[in-house]
Amino acid sequence: MNKIVAFLGLCGLLAFALRPALGADWKMDPAGSKLEFIATFEKTPAPGVFKEFDARLRFDPDKPAGSSLDVTIKVTSADMNIADVNKEIRGKDWFDYAGFPQAEFRSTDLRRTEGNRYVARGTLSLKGVKQQLEVPFTWTGSAGGAVLEGELTVKRGAFGIGTGEWAASNVIGADVKVKFKVKLRKAG
Amino acid sequence: MLRNDADAWGAPAKLFHWVMAALILAQIALGVMAASWRMSPTKLDLFFWHKSTGMLILALVALRLLWRLANPTPALPADMAAWERAGARLSHGLLYALMIALPISGWIVNSASNVPFRIFSLIPLPAIVAPDKPTADGVALVHGGLAALFALVLAAHTGAALRHHFVKRNTVLERMLPGTWRTP
Repeated sequence: MNKIVAFLGLCGLLAFALRPALGADWKMDPAGSKLEFIATFEKTPAPGVFKEFDARLRFDPDKPAGSSLDVTIKVTSADMNIADVNKEIRGKDWFDYAGFPQAEFRSTDLRRTEGNRYVARGTLSLKGVKQQLEVPFTWTGSAGGAVLEGELTVKRGAFGIGTGEWAASNVIGADVKVKFKVKLRKAG
Repeated sequence: MLRNDADAWGAPAKLFHWVMAALILAQIALGVMAASWRMSPTKLDLFFWHKSTGMLILALVALRLLWRLANPTPALPADMAAWERAGARLSHGLLYALMIALPISGWIVNSASNVPFRIFSLIPLPAIVAPDKPTADGVALVHGGLAALFALVLAAHTGAALRHHFVKRNTVLERMLPGTWRTP
């Protein structure tokens, strides 16, 4: 009897030790985080921010396999610092606040490229369009926290941001640079 | 002949006059079209060219004033009445003042509205006031009012030049025309 209990216990221990490695859960600290998008107007950078967004991450920088990243962006919190432009981007031709108030990026494929550089392959859902995207980022860990930082360029046309006559890229450029800095702390 | 003398304008003064005349006419048309166009890429393009041209005019008027100060100004015809001389002085003063005030008020509107802008996509234009929507709207009205005043003074200036030529039959208009025209 005791042997059986010991054996079962051993099996349990083994199962625990051999479980798939799960990274820690991380939560975003909004105060130290920023999500910018930089469009161009007549070839001049026109910066904006999404003031409200949230990132949830399960991640072990040493074993990124099995990690996951989930970012939700409140599209309606976009601010381009120009009153007339902020009014304009609400409309159907641009972000369409009424139809698509939220965007999302989900990735379950995070890999290290070199050193503290990683790439998250996932799906961006924006304005009803889902597209595969590679998001490169750097990971800087500190005691109990970390900073995830990076930038990438997306084509606004792929998501129907700027439709009709705005699809032309001579006045408002086709490329939008997205820059992010996410301050994270270990959850629970 | 490069420099002005007591009777005649030199080539640089004439070049300034006619190049800026052409730019200013184009500028008024661009401004009216940009302001009245419906929201579209075309409207933004019109504003872009209007702003770029305005900054070019501001740079040119600065050079032109320096050139004018460094040169004699040809004398007005001796037979002009006192009111005509006063009118000429006032309208020329207003034209110069408005050639400066219009670009600068436009620059204030652009700064207050916080629109990123590079002159002809090349030279970044620094902001001269803090972003503020009421300032942008208020100064835009002033800008429009000054433009209307400019159009009036321009009409008076053109009318006076034609009057000099066709009614008073003096050389005031001719001596601003290109070529090496000299007072006989």
